[in-house]
Amino acid sequence: MIEITRILGHCDDPDLSARIHHAGHHGGIEYLHIPPAEAARRRFRAVTDMGSECAVMLPRDQGIFDGAVLLLEHDRAVVARLTEQHWLRLRPSDVEGAALELGYHAGNLHWRVRFDHGDLLVALDGPRETYVARLADLMDEGKVEVVGE
Amino acid sequence: MTVSTEVVGAARVGVGGPVGSGKTALVERLIPLLRGEGIDLAVITNDLVTKEDAERLRRSRLIDPERVLAVEAGACPHTVIREDPTLNIEAAERLDAQFPGLELILIESGGDNLASTFSLDLVDYWMFVIDVAGGDDIPRKRGPGIIQSDLLVINKVDLAPHVGVDLDRMVAEAREVRGGRPVVLTNCRTGDGVDGVVRAIRDAVPLGRQTGKSAGSGSR
Repeated sequence: MIEITRILGHCDDPDLSARIHHAGHHGGIEYLHIPPAEAARRRFRAVTDMGSECAVMLPRDQGIFDGAVLLLEHDRAVVARLTEQHWLRLRPSDVEGAALELGYHAGNLHWRVRFDHGDLLVALDGPRETYVARLADLMDEGKVEVVGE
Repeated sequence: MTVSTEVVGAARVGVGGPVGSGKTALVERLIPLLRGEGIDLAVITNDLVTKEDAERLRRSRLIDPERVLAVEAGACPHTVIREDPTLNIEAAERLDAQFPGLELILIESGGDNLASTFSLDLVDYWMFVIDVAGGDDIPRKRGPGIIQSDLLVINKVDLAPHVGVDLDRMVAEAREVRGGRPVVLTNCRTGDGVDGVVRAIRDAVPLGRQTGKSAGSGSR
């Protein structure tokens, strides 16, 4: 069991990358794949891609990010990799009523969103159908359409 | 070699769910089981405008009354466990400072609706407690509390035949909407099934007040 109690830095940090490269020559670099929605979690158990069990116990002021170095020894490194975040791209029929209504609706559902050239991107933290089902009324009224993912 | 002396603090586990589902009763059952496993424990309760649940736990003698803190939400209970959990974070930090060996803090939310969820800025793991008397259609309604919680607890299972609930169907639907996330059945009046909640917490959350004392962050 590997106990991880702090983040050492980013794997591209100059003082860490050479040591990670060196560790790779000896034993290997292990990756801990974490869904983006779980990255805020400070304590959890997980298994690396090479099967090593990890007990993560981070201080409250630290959080997992893509490329976070979690363990660095002479012959071994563990690096966090956030899995790909899928987004549902929604386009309101106008930038006034429909856009406001969609924004209100997404906020009311506590969806994680981004904005991109007039579209609303919703982070898919569960099945796509679950999100689309919540939009049925707006879509039926022609106020919103799903334009991509 | 990197040597850290940072104090990580106690693990935090949230207990949410509707009014009357048995959250406080579950906490009352969890306290002796967790303490029996040698876990250094404290509790934070959330109520709307009173300290009722905290006072109930203090009177219970299950735990040192100083290890029970109350947060008054003053508004919808989910606001202080999700939108702005500052009050609860401050309470947890106070407990961390007051009890240096503390390993686990249970944070009980005030009773709320099926949309209630915990922020991961506040807790490491959270469970949602419903009960059969609330109706066997609750899992089908797919509220965020039902779907997103790390653990769903279905309480008061002994009441199922008295309130016309098909428990098997309720559990099957709960498992289906949760996509494989765990579901535990309890009767907090008798304590039946509460050991399953303890196991779920221990399986998912590393406890211990780790101080990052080993080389290169991790240790084996």
